[in-house]
Amino acid sequence: MHSMTLPGVAATALACLAPCALAQSQGANVVKLGITEYTTHAKTNGISGVGIPPGADVDVSNATTVIFVYERLFTPNVGLEFVIGVPPKLKATATGSAAFLGEVLTVKNVSPTLLLNYHFFSPTDALRPYVGAGINYTRFTSVHSSLAPDVQLGYSTGLAIQAGVNYAITKDVGLFASIAKLDVKSKVVATGATVLTTTVDFRPIVYSAGVSYQF
Amino acid sequence: MRSFRLVVPWAVSAVLLAACGGGDPDVPGSGAPAGAPTDKGTFTAIVSFGDSLSDVGTYAPATSLAGNGTPPFFGGKFTTNETSNGVPDANPLGKVWVEDVAADLGILVTPAEVGFGGTSVKCPAAANPAIASTCTGYGQGGSRVTDPNGIGHAGGALTVPVVTQIANHLARFGSFKASDLIFVYAGSNDVFTQFGTFAAAAAQIQAQAANGTISADEANRQLFAAQNTALAGMKQAAQELATDIRTQILANGGKYVAVMTLSDIADTPFGNSLPADARGVLTALSQNFNVWLRDGLAGQPVQIIDTFALFKDAYQNPAKFGFVNNTTPACDVAKIQAITGGQVTDGSSLFCNATPGAPYNGLTAGADVNTWQFADSVHPTTGGHKVIAAAFEAQLQAFGWI
Repeated sequence: MHSMTLPGVAATALACLAPCALAQSQGANVVKLGITEYTTHAKTNGISGVGIPPGADVDVSNATTVIFVYERLFTPNVGLEFVIGVPPKLKATATGSAAFLGEVLTVKNVSPTLLLNYHFFSPTDALRPYVGAGINYTRFTSVHSSLAPDVQLGYSTGLAIQAGVNYAITKDVGLFASIAKLDVKSKVVATGATVLTTTVDFRPIVYSAGVSYQF
Repeated sequence: MRSFRLVVPWAVSAVLLAACGGGDPDVPGSGAPAGAPTDKGTFTAIVSFGDSLSDVGTYAPATSLAGNGTPPFFGGKFTTNETSNGVPDANPLGKVWVEDVAADLGILVTPAEVGFGGTSVKCPAAANPAIASTCTGYGQGGSRVTDPNGIGHAGGALTVPVVTQIANHLARFGSFKASDLIFVYAGSNDVFTQFGTFAAAAAQIQAQAANGTISADEANRQLFAAQNTALAGMKQAAQELATDIRTQILANGGKYVAVMTLSDIADTPFGNSLPADARGVLTALSQNFNVWLRDGLAGQPVQIIDTFALFKDAYQNPAKFGFVNNTTPACDVAKIQAITGGQVTDGSSLFCNATPGAPYNGLTAGADVNTWQFADSVHPTTGGHKVIAAAFEAQLQAFGWI
C-alpha cells in the first residue's frame, strides 16, 4: 500500500489542477452514492464523577446512513476521495452497574473523511480492488441526554483506512463495496446536578455499498 | 437497600478530578482559586461562619444548670464540654477548632449570637468594652447555607443561615478587614437535609420494589433520580455559598479568606450506622458540594482547605492522629437523656459535659475526650477538634498566612 503523507496528497492534487491527460482520458471524476452501516466497538475509560455507581459504563449503538463519495483520479491508479454521510444518530446505552438507566444519550456524528486511494489493475478491468488511507474528522451535534442537560463531546481527528472493490457495469456506471476503519475518540463532559466525564473510543468499522458513476 | 444494585457514587474519581488543579475549562470544578495573599497576616480577629462544627457556644442557655437560661452552663458546644460560667474563654477545655486556632494566634473569639427557643442576644461580648469586637464566631448548630429553616430550627435552634451570618457581620462591622482571618465552613447541614429527603424517598421506593409494585430496575432508576435531586440541592447550596463569598466577603474587603470543603460524613458513627449504599449517597453529597464550591471559587482570591482529604486521612489512620477510638461516641445517650430530664434522646453533644466528677457528666464510661474522636454521632470531641485545628493551622502555614 502506498504510504503517502498529506502534503504528498496536496502536491499530487496541485500537480493535477492542470489537466491530467491520462486520468481524464479514463474519466477523472467518480461520484458514489451508497448505504453505510456504521458499526461501533466503543470502549471508554470508565465514567468519572459524583453519583455514578462504580463499574458503570456505556455502549454505543450502530447506525445506518447514506453516504456520498466524490473521488478525483490523478492517475489511473491514484485518487483522492472525499466521503460524507447524512449524520446518523448514535445511541449510548448504560451498561455494567448502571444498566438500569437504559438509553442515556443520543448524538449525531458529522464525519467527513478524506482518503488517498490506490486502485489495482487497469481502468479497462471490470473488477478493481482498491485500498486507501487518510484522515477522518468527526464532530458531534444534536446531543440529547437524560442524565444531564449539558453534554459536550469533543471533536475527533484520526486516521482512516479502507479497502474496497469497484465493479464496472458499463464504462461509466458501476457498483462498489468497501470496508473502512476509523479512529474516532471523544472526550465527553456531562454537566447537570453533577459533572460526569469519560473518553469514548468509538472504534467504528464502516461497511458501505452502492453505485458509482464515472465522468 | 441491600437487595438493589448500588446507586452508589464513589470517592476516587471526583477527588482525582478535583486534584488536577490546572483546570479544564470544559470540566466544572477542575479549576482552582487564584490570587489569595501569600504574605503573613497581622490578625486581630477570627471571623468564622458556619455550623455546629464552628459553633463557639450559641446554644449555651439551653444547657443552663438552673434550667432558666442563665449561667453556669453544663454544655453549649457540639463537643465534649467543660462547665462554663458564661465568661468567654474562661476555661481551657471543651474548645472547638475555631477557639483552638484563635488561642494559638492569641486572639479571642466569642459567639456572635447566644440564645435558644426564641430568645437570643447578639454579641453578648459587647457588654464588656475590652472584648466588644470579639463576637465574630458566627457558626451555629443546624445552620444551612441559605435556608433559614436549619436542622433543629423547629425545636428552638437559631440556625441563622451562613449568608445571613455574613450579612450580620457586615451590618455590625461595616466591612471585612485585612486583619480578619476569615473562615467559611458550611454545607454539612445541607448534606443532612438532602440526605434525609433522599432516605425518605428511598424507603418508599424500596417498599414498592419489595412488594412487587415496581421492578428492581425501575426502583434503581427512581433511586438514581432521587439521588440526583439531592445532588442538585447540594450543587445549588455550593453555588449560593460561592456567590456569597465573592459578592459579600471578597467584595467587602475580605483578604484572608479560607473556605473549607465538606468532609465525608460517611466517616462518622452516624455514617457507619447506615447501609453501605446509603453511605455512598452521603459521600456523594459532600463530593458534589465540593465540586461546585471549587467551580464557584475558581480564579477567586481565596484559599480552599480540603477537609475531605484531611478528615479521610484522620479517619483511615487514627493512630497517626492520636485517636484510639473513632467509632464510638464519647457521650452517653442514656446519661444525656437523664441529665436533660428526658428531653434530649439523641445523645447530642451540645448537652454533653466532660468535667470529671460533675453530677451532670455525660461521658460514656471509659471514654477519653482526647483520644476518642467523636463526641456524638457526628461531632468531634475536644481532642477531635484539636486535630482539626492543627490540620487547619498547617494549611494556614502552607498558605504563608501565619
